[in-house]
Amino acid sequence: MGSFELNTTISNLRSLLESDLSAYDAVYLGNIYCRLFEDNFLERTDDLKEGIARVKDQGLRAYVTSYAAPRNDALPKVQIALETAAAAGADAIEVHNLGVLRMVHEQFPGMPAHVGGFANVYTDAGAEVLKEYGAVRFTPNYEISLDEVESITRGAGIPAELQVHGKMPLGVSDYCFLLEYEQHWPEKCPVLCQKQLFLKQGDWAMRSVGKGVLSGKDLCMLEHLPALIAAGHTMFRIEAAYETPAYRFQIGQIYRAALERAVAGDGTVDESAWQVIREHTAVGLCNGFYFGRTGSEYVGKRVEAVAACS
Amino acid sequence: MLAVTPRRDITHRLREQLGANLGMEPIPGYGPLQASPLSTAKGCGIDVPKGCAMLLAPAGNLEAAKQAFQAGADAVYVGLKGWSRGGARGEFDCEQLRQCIELAHALGKKVQLAANIIPKPQERQRLLQQLSELADWGLQAVILNDAGFLREVRRKLPGLAITASIGCGALNTDDALFYQDLGATAIVLPGYLEPEEIAAIKAKASIQVEIMLHMVQEFIQLGKCWMPSYVHFAAADRIFPAQRLGGSVKRGGVGTCFRICQQPWTLLNDGVEADQRLFPSRQISRVAELAAFLDAGVDVIKIQGRSLSAEMVSVIIGIYRSAADAWKCGQKGEWDPPALPAMWTVQGR
Repeated sequence: MGSFELNTTISNLRSLLESDLSAYDAVYLGNIYCRLFEDNFLERTDDLKEGIARVKDQGLRAYVTSYAAPRNDALPKVQIALETAAAAGADAIEVHNLGVLRMVHEQFPGMPAHVGGFANVYTDAGAEVLKEYGAVRFTPNYEISLDEVESITRGAGIPAELQVHGKMPLGVSDYCFLLEYEQHWPEKCPVLCQKQLFLKQGDWAMRSVGKGVLSGKDLCMLEHLPALIAAGHTMFRIEAAYETPAYRFQIGQIYRAALERAVAGDGTVDESAWQVIREHTAVGLCNGFYFGRTGSEYVGKRVEAVAACS
Repeated sequence: MLAVTPRRDITHRLREQLGANLGMEPIPGYGPLQASPLSTAKGCGIDVPKGCAMLLAPAGNLEAAKQAFQAGADAVYVGLKGWSRGGARGEFDCEQLRQCIELAHALGKKVQLAANIIPKPQERQRLLQQLSELADWGLQAVILNDAGFLREVRRKLPGLAITASIGCGALNTDDALFYQDLGATAIVLPGYLEPEEIAAIKAKASIQVEIMLHMVQEFIQLGKCWMPSYVHFAAADRIFPAQRLGGSVKRGGVGTCFRICQQPWTLLNDGVEADQRLFPSRQISRVAELAAFLDAGVDVIKIQGRSLSAEMVSVIIGIYRSAADAWKCGQKGEWDPPALPAMWTVQGR
């Protein structure tokens, strides 16, 4: 790995084949919310094999994610996905469920585990436990601040992967919010949740993806990348499981360039980047909880550029 | 487990045993809290009644605890000020908790403590100390929410039973095995799981299984929701300045669940209004299926609702007690559950 890793998320083979991944170092394959998501890698063994091969053929690391909240009926499929990932040479498994972490640890002891944001890592003590189960990195729970993340990485000796752009996960459900709308709209499951469906209340907006709720605003840490690099962070994610290939490509390019500049000690932001970000943003930008504020707020100097994205 | 006893008899016995303490005056012989060193062998562990699952009731105050015991609960779970998730639903101070433990012991029943927020690193030692003192008083079990703190409590207080809270998000057999590995005594599962799932877990895991058969199933899973702090985090800071971490309820942001899922949201499809609606949620009460869950090997039947009035706790526990006793007597499929109290609804939670 170079001085940093930029990765993204892709739910199915179609989206992978349509995506230009030249900005990325690694890709997470699979949709964590729903088994019925259109051709979810986690349900289609052949697609997963092909996806891993195609990612690796591009010189990237292939990570396979897993379900955020699996009940027993999903575990056989999880097992198959884990076996497929191991056999196809996946570089790591992402786990959001601690039972799945245990499965990986017990059955694939050499397989690195990346702990996902739904695993609820809030403290160094929690991270230490997961490290003993083979976790080599963790995505902190989304509602903790950068100061708290630093306390965990220092206390537990395990690096954090930070989402730096994209809609932030806010919750996961056991049933689908959107299925009842199938009758009213031309779109049906399993593509219904890929539509631009937002829940609004006054100035607040959240994105519904059926079994999950995402922030309506796109988390954006572009202007804060130099600070993240200076703090020692090296692994960054652009969350794009429900985004278009164009989003994945163009946002990825912006962040790759900005990270390279930050690593070289140049903290400037390419002004044209804001225009591109604006084109891919439906309801504005936020920083999530990184600065200890309400998740939908934006903290930074680029207030005008950010306001223009709203 | 106690045999089914008419409520008036229990009340009479309570009065005999406790006298004025039923009125919640301090229990004679007990002074103010004293600090004690961390112990290494305390607590009495979860002792499930032989032949039937334990019936575990919520208690947001002492009166609710009394009513729950009277109605047939084997144990109650209570919150301790500052340390329990959803504090607004009712928490005890230390003295009230001690009185509750005394009351339970007098009746041969038990008390569990919901210390189910995630303590900050600098708070862990203080909470451990407090748990040690409570174990000395006879606390049966502590309900915890963080894997790291759970393991720390197991190592430092090996005699205290530990329950992995429903906020841990456990759903499957391997989750149960994970918390079993960490040393948890029991794990709480949501009531929307099926008896077959419980049986499958019990077939592989020795950890005790609690199931919250009477609960509100909100749209987002318990422990996996930070929608409120996305919308309202700053307001929480103003309401509870520096008292706790901000954020979701499990972080201890006391009262910071703003129930945004119970407010109407406009669903927009490509910017066009499609509907006005709440997030779906429903009241689960599976008392009619209790026999199937007991057959599946459930160890503890848990009732949600520390915010419930004492009267409501009494009614609900009474219904579950009757169902459990019918199962114990072999009346499988012959027990007709009475209607639930109308007040117990999702909106009224």
